[in-house]
Amino acid sequence: MSDALHWLVGQLARLGLDYGFLFDVYASGKLLDGALTTVWLCLCGIVGSLLVGVLLAAAVASKRRWLAWPARAFIEVTRNTPTLVQLYCAFLVLNMLINQSLGSANPMTPFAWVVLVISLHKGAFHAEALRAGIEAVPAVTLEAASSLAFSRRQQLLQVQLPLAVRFALPALVNNLIDLVKMTAVASAIAVNDITYASIMIWTQGNNVVELMILILAFFGLLSFAVNCAGRFLEARLRMPGYGH
Amino acid sequence: MSLSTIARRGLFASLLATTTLAASGLAQADATLDKIQQRHKLAVGVVLSGGPFGAIDPATRQPVGFSVDLARDLARQLGVEVDLVAVQPANRVQFLQQGKVDLLIANMEWTAERDKLLGHVPTPFYRVGGAAALADASPIKAWADLKGQPVCTSQGSSYTQALVDLGADIKAFKTSAESLLALRGNNCVAAVHDATLINPLLAKGGEWSGYRALTPELNPAPSVIWTRLGQTDTQQRLDPFVKQWHKSGWLIEREQANHITPASPALVELRAKLQGEGA
Repeated sequence: MSDALHWLVGQLARLGLDYGFLFDVYASGKLLDGALTTVWLCLCGIVGSLLVGVLLAAAVASKRRWLAWPARAFIEVTRNTPTLVQLYCAFLVLNMLINQSLGSANPMTPFAWVVLVISLHKGAFHAEALRAGIEAVPAVTLEAASSLAFSRRQQLLQVQLPLAVRFALPALVNNLIDLVKMTAVASAIAVNDITYASIMIWTQGNNVVELMILILAFFGLLSFAVNCAGRFLEARLRMPGYGH
Repeated sequence: MSLSTIARRGLFASLLATTTLAASGLAQADATLDKIQQRHKLAVGVVLSGGPFGAIDPATRQPVGFSVDLARDLARQLGVEVDLVAVQPANRVQFLQQGKVDLLIANMEWTAERDKLLGHVPTPFYRVGGAAALADASPIKAWADLKGQPVCTSQGSSYTQALVDLGADIKAFKTSAESLLALRGNNCVAAVHDATLINPLLAKGGEWSGYRALTPELNPAPSVIWTRLGQTDTQQRLDPFVKQWHKSGWLIEREQANHITPASPALVELRAKLQGEGA
């Protein structure tokens, strides 16, 4: 493994790219740590945002106004403001207020704030994608379900959502790829993700180009993995007779 | 291997090589002075994040501060217009290397690592060390107490290496403004920045009345005017200006005019030394 790495670094050095910092224990440790943190941010963000998305979509699709309207308002506000502004607002303002009232008992770490903000932000987009799916379920299917004495909740959970997820899957995967890239905002509040680790290394040395290529490749791979998972799910959940 | 593959590979290599070279600033020979004269403009990167060294005057919306005064005077002595470019600690080196600015007067102290990347005017114009802002009640009494503690600073700070050596757990934010907010939100036990930023802030009181500074200064280092690597003509051209600033006492006067407190002993030392040299 290390032989292969040495060879690769040697080849890149011939192109004028100095990846020597990969052999520096401090720098490589920081980068590995950062890559791992980014992967965790993505996993927590994907799970969190999907949960938020399903809840919001269910609320928006509900016939009860006191549930549907606040959910709609939340989606509009969240969708229409930048993630970075939301993160600053949450971390620099809300977090300070929580600190002032709870003192050191504040359970929110910077990592948790990033996951929360990304989950809520992307959850709003998921909700819209799922709404499209829910509305695409034919009315006759729902009539058939109610004629079989399905309650409203059963209709949603056992008929509408399973179909809606299939309709919305391409849009959801699109959102999730965006989520992977969005995790880079974590660097703004000093969460040690791969972007932050790279900034910390390049501000101390002359390797911006090398690190930029490295993190572009890393995010490219990560997004590609999400894309592949999405394609696999699409094929797995495909319903004969719908599309294809 | 087909000819086209070889050609393509060569093209890729040279493309990459040009980008890297352009980025590291090795491609240009001593071209800074020519460029300044041609455009009749001196582009200087300054940090305008507030404080006496560089800020935007709320009334006139013009940049003001110690660094800004220096940049304006250099342009005046060169007989060209000044073009002030706001840079941030995390990106200032790239602004200089890529030729977006000719010089950096950006609160950037001399360190051995930076000396390998960039060139500088030999005579320093100031000397700055790091200070930590801490809550009054904090048990930290010396720099060594920061070991293992979360410490806020800015990305690209001059004190990163020193803090790593101290064993502190560094939380680096985009700019000093966010770092200081994070300190007040209890996300770290101390915020480490230039003493010239921390001291006036704490002296001002108000929302900072519950905080104190940790002394003595961490790693005091000379502030210099940075150029791209190898631009020796530019450095030689500017050096007499900086020496004259010291000898005439102009820097001490600008320090007072910009309300930089406490006054730097380095300016007095450098003035005495340069006046002693005569010339």
